[in-house]
Amino acid sequence: MVKDTMPEAADMINLGFLSDSERELILEVLQRDEDIRQAEEHRVRSMKTELLDMKRKGAKRGSGRYSQRSCGRCQEPLSRLTVFSSQCKICNHHVCRNCRTALPEGSWLCSVCAKESDLKKMTGDWFYDQRVNRFSTTPGHDLVRVSLKKKPQVNKRETTGEMLLRSTEINPDLPIPIPRVRQKNQIADNKGHSKENSASIASRESFESKEEVWSKPTRSDTESAENDSISSRKTDTESGHVTPQQQRRENCSAPCSPSGSTVSSLTTLVKADIASVVSGTSEANTAPEITTESPGPEIEVDRLFKKSIKRAPKPSEFVSTLDLRDERDERDERDEHDTSGASMGNRSRSVPGLDVQEDGEEEEDIDSLVSFHKRTMASSSFSLNSSKSTLGSLMSIYSEAGDFDSVEVSGDLIFSMSYNEPSQSLNVFIKECHGLAFGDASGQLSHPYVKCYLLPDKSRQSKRKTSIKRNTVNPVYKETLKYSVSRSQLATRSMLISVWHHGRFSRNAFLGEVEIPLDTRDLDSPHEDRVALMAKLASPVPASAFAQYKGELMISLKYVTSKKPTTEKIKGKKVVIEGGGELHVLIKEAKNLMAMKPGGTSDSFVKGYLFPTKAKTTKRKTPVVKKNLNPHYDHTFVYKELPLEQLEEMCLELTVWDREAMLSNEFLGGVRLSSGRGTVKIGKAEVEMDSVGEEVSVWEKVMKYPDSWAEGTLPLRSTMVKGK
Amino acid sequence: MTDGDYDYLIKLLALGDSGVGKTTFLYRYTDNKFNPKFITTVGIDFREKRVVYTASNPNGATTGKTFKVHLQLWDTAGQERFRSLTTAFFRDAMGFLLMFDLTSQQSFLNVRNWMSQLQANAYCENPDIVLIGNKADLADQREVQEKQAKELADKYGIPYFETSAATGVEVDKAVITLLDLVMKRMEQCVDKPPAEPANGNGATKLGEAQPNEKKCAC
Repeated sequence: MVKDTMPEAADMINLGFLSDSERELILEVLQRDEDIRQAEEHRVRSMKTELLDMKRKGAKRGSGRYSQRSCGRCQEPLSRLTVFSSQCKICNHHVCRNCRTALPEGSWLCSVCAKESDLKKMTGDWFYDQRVNRFSTTPGHDLVRVSLKKKPQVNKRETTGEMLLRSTEINPDLPIPIPRVRQKNQIADNKGHSKENSASIASRESFESKEEVWSKPTRSDTESAENDSISSRKTDTESGHVTPQQQRRENCSAPCSPSGSTVSSLTTLVKADIASVVSGTSEANTAPEITTESPGPEIEVDRLFKKSIKRAPKPSEFVSTLDLRDERDERDERDEHDTSGASMGNRSRSVPGLDVQEDGEEEEDIDSLVSFHKRTMASSSFSLNSSKSTLGSLMSIYSEAGDFDSVEVSGDLIFSMSYNEPSQSLNVFIKECHGLAFGDASGQLSHPYVKCYLLPDKSRQSKRKTSIKRNTVNPVYKETLKYSVSRSQLATRSMLISVWHHGRFSRNAFLGEVEIPLDTRDLDSPHEDRVALMAKLASPVPASAFAQYKGELMISLKYVTSKKPTTEKIKGKKVVIEGGGELHVLIKEAKNLMAMKPGGTSDSFVKGYLFPTKAKTTKRKTPVVKKNLNPHYDHTFVYKELPLEQLEEMCLELTVWDREAMLSNEFLGGVRLSSGRGTVKIGKAEVEMDSVGEEVSVWEKVMKYPDSWAEGTLPLRSTMVKGK
Repeated sequence: MTDGDYDYLIKLLALGDSGVGKTTFLYRYTDNKFNPKFITTVGIDFREKRVVYTASNPNGATTGKTFKVHLQLWDTAGQERFRSLTTAFFRDAMGFLLMFDLTSQQSFLNVRNWMSQLQANAYCENPDIVLIGNKADLADQREVQEKQAKELADKYGIPYFETSAATGVEVDKAVITLLDLVMKRMEQCVDKPPAEPANGNGATKLGEAQPNEKKCAC
């Protein structure tokens, strides 16, 4: 996180040479620039809300389980003839004439895709997208601001009030670093003070920082609205975990979350929830207290603090937030409480590994804001309670352990599964259950429903649910859940069917599950199966990151020894040539990636990091290859000024992502190349280099034979989380 | 002061040696006035102007569509002491007005250096640039010949204009040409994303003349 939000030392401009008056002049200019940026941000936001609106109206979503005979946008039936010529070349939906937008050169796009491409231009995303590949995304003015700020901060002993006054004089926009201790006190204060608290937040909001905060609008962001919903959702989900004591904190911080109205309603929800739940669940107990954290160096405090104010409400966000919530089906909302639901979808995308989560996908043009907010949320909860957020996100991805009541599992499930060739879909027929356990321990009630995931995809996209049957332990559903997926895909997948008690005012309760591998199952003749429901596996974390086949990545690496300043010398004197050569990483292709999009494809790209990161960011990305599970990237990442000896201590991480416009990108797999020994510093954490097999051998080949290519076909890990 | 009533916010940046007339050039462009006094720019500054841009399709014919463009024109200090500050702003600009003084051979010679500064610090390796020889009105003091400058511009594959902030000659044209380049690149970037050539490979070719073609590198 540090890496992305705070410019690194080397990136920072030393402005010590400026006189005070000069500095003031510059701050004035920056202030004017700020006004422009704010107007721009406002404009961008409303455009995005518009797009979201449009998207919402188009009823067909990613799941793709719709007839090709109806328009993907307005759902009007399409005539037989038009079906062949009505596919939008970007989203592949079949759309009617009314939902097309003609392009100048005579072709057309569906209204949503056309709007998306318009937005990309009008928001400046086209520009920021490009820049991403060159720099850490911190824009110039941010660097300067940080540098300017450095000086006034010399006096560490200042009180908040003093600092506030002076910083306001110098620059009304500078956030006032408040020691974390104080913040904690505020939060720990009881509700009676929350008003004061929110007031102080409001006033801080007006000082909203130009630094990290504004790296948001200046960065690409075709996406603001969605994030907001995500972050508010997160609030929601997190609240699900809290004990009453923590809830107070939650309440106090509510005013600073992105949309007041949403949050307050959520808070009520939470209260109801808590009332009926025994406090002190294991989860809550594991959540450590914030109080022990000692305030770090002031920069750190400052940063954390600013993070937390980023939740400051922006009136224009209200609408979109609410919109999105509406969009989700009602049940989803309650489903939050079973952790695995929609909330997991959001997080799982961003958290294939801890470090990856940290910088998330913030620079993915259209997704940037989503993840920006994700980071915001992560860090705002971070500032409240650092380890809890980590814990929470880990849990929701790798296990469903956590926020649901458990009961003795009993009973069984009758279902059938078949593959429908004409419609290219997998149909899961949920017939009925017998002898389920009671979900609500006190009232001997059960309102069961059945939920499916087409594993390994545990995102929202892959979730299907039946209706809820009330007051029965022998529910009869006779419902068919459909997955649009090509047949060839199924061999590597399995169907997770779980049964849940829907707790209207309490948490959902897990009633049992069963996982059906699809490779061995006969999907042509649907036969009914009766299976006993099982409890969750004790260790939901896959035994190994390689246990699941996620495809392969073909790469070629070469260390190029420096050929000394022959060419470089002529060029501008500013070019500093240091010792050390270059590491070339050729990303050739990937094979058998997981399909994430309707139609059984993925739009993938590869992202690379070389750890430990040096002054400049080491992030590299390939272009996106669309609609291909075996994409050829043929793209080279070059890391310069790298002494050969250093490779021994370095670690190259390559991750493959499905690019999801308007949502966060989905993790498809990754590799970690290193010597496999020792640790490497990623962010702040020392992380073990857990490379194995070819990941190690390729890396060693590179070190051993400079100037020649070391090729490798590496299996993709299903998670980048470091060893057990 | 800035309402959001525009379709595009385009950020351009003027750079070049100290005293070539960047500030007066921009002042002429935005306010159509000339200030002969030399006031050195402290670090950075910017001016704004709202223009109407008429889109044209790839064949060059206008499509008749017009857009409101809000131009943010960054002015940078030419002085060396501000260099670290000004170059940091390069990365935020979408297009560049690289200026030299037609009456100063040295400022022209430094174009090459500015060029490599740009290639190293702009958002991509081959950003949109126009080369501008300013102070064209001072014909008697001229040190740089048009042919010379034109050759250099051709080598970089960028347009060249001889302007005068004092008289206003060619000032608008230079800026509009740059805007047009930026808008064209934007269209290209967004409308044909599949042909995405590599840009992020970090292998920056410093100081080399870029080929004439300007590909979208997103």
